[in-house]
Amino acid sequence: MAIRIERRAAATQAQGIEPGYAQTARRWPSQPLVLRPHTPSELSGPQVQRCLPEIRGDLAGYGERRALGQLIRLRVRVADEDGAPLPGTVVEAWHCNAAGKYIHPNDSHDAPVDPNFYGAARLVAGENGLVELRTIKPGAYPVPDTDGWWRPPHVHFSVWGRVWLSRLVTQMFFPGDPLNDADVILNAIRDPEARGRCIARLVPSKTSELIYEYQLVVRGRKASPGLP
Amino acid sequence: MTRRGVSHLVPTAEMTLGPFFPREFAEGVNDLAKGAQGEAIEITGRVVELDGRPLDNLVLEIWQADGAGRLDNPDFSGWGRAATDAQGSYRFRTIRPGAIAGRAPHINFLVLYSGLMRQLQTVMFFDSSDDPVLHSVEQARRSRLVAVRINANSYRFDIRLRGGDETPFFDD
Repeated sequence: MAIRIERRAAATQAQGIEPGYAQTARRWPSQPLVLRPHTPSELSGPQVQRCLPEIRGDLAGYGERRALGQLIRLRVRVADEDGAPLPGTVVEAWHCNAAGKYIHPNDSHDAPVDPNFYGAARLVAGENGLVELRTIKPGAYPVPDTDGWWRPPHVHFSVWGRVWLSRLVTQMFFPGDPLNDADVILNAIRDPEARGRCIARLVPSKTSELIYEYQLVVRGRKASPGLP
Repeated sequence: MTRRGVSHLVPTAEMTLGPFFPREFAEGVNDLAKGAQGEAIEITGRVVELDGRPLDNLVLEIWQADGAGRLDNPDFSGWGRAATDAQGSYRFRTIRPGAIAGRAPHINFLVLYSGLMRQLQTVMFFDSSDDPVLHSVEQARRSRLVAVRINANSYRFDIRLRGGDETPFFDD
């Protein structure tokens, strides 16, 4: 099936440099990005599920091995721009523990490690494009060398769509957190509706887990051969 | 939003990878040549920011055709991922890609990192041959997309995100 990739409205995506985030000015190219034609190389893509096995569908654990923090369940639907679900798509997720500490050795934040929490999972979307992750709600943490910037609780996602240009790496936020309003990364999305779609929706739960629903939309629409 | 009567969802906003991408996710997936048909090659390089400072734990992903220029070979994934070390160095082992119709042999590169608000896309070529993507870059900058041949099976492809002689990146 032929896929086409259309340009996105600028306000729905971050631009390169954010004054509140010093490293952006050292890393984003100074030259304008180059527009290129799309050929089969960009409009096809790898079957990454052959390289990347599922890892840890549950980060919260049970009993004596339960991670500390508020139990949550994330129900994430992966779809393309036509709204079609993408079964079989690989989704990677990672986040810090309830105290705001990552498992990564480069994290120097003075917060405790939770021996029962390992914050990295890889899942494959089911038939309706859904992945479910049982985990704990991540904490907030201060960003070093900034003027009081705290990252609100968030979950990182890395997703593959149908083709190479559908690749999506993003972050999901939680509703109602006052830190959301000042976060440099979330507010780099200028369009309020697009920004709002980066915040999960809390839905009623009759279990011991808070349930959040979220949608990840990857780039790509089915090409219509009959149209110019 | 509807268009031609079909629903249209706006693609989710990209955000930075952040500094704490799990090391585990980038382990054991930088050798595409293992068990594959074709001529094995090695690609190494360094990734630096402004002032040439090397970047640690930056993630590169590649996507390429197989040795015959096929993009749908069930026995060759065409995909790999490597993270840079503290010196900014990365390494891939892969198969020399064949030419796809209308394109010179090339390897697509994706750059993900803390401080990059969106992914960056670039392409490695083996020589400065005629290619529509290479030729979309102004002539003076094209050589930055051509890997340096170290020997018959080894190439060097350095990536400079920003600064003089920076790598050209693509907008899609």
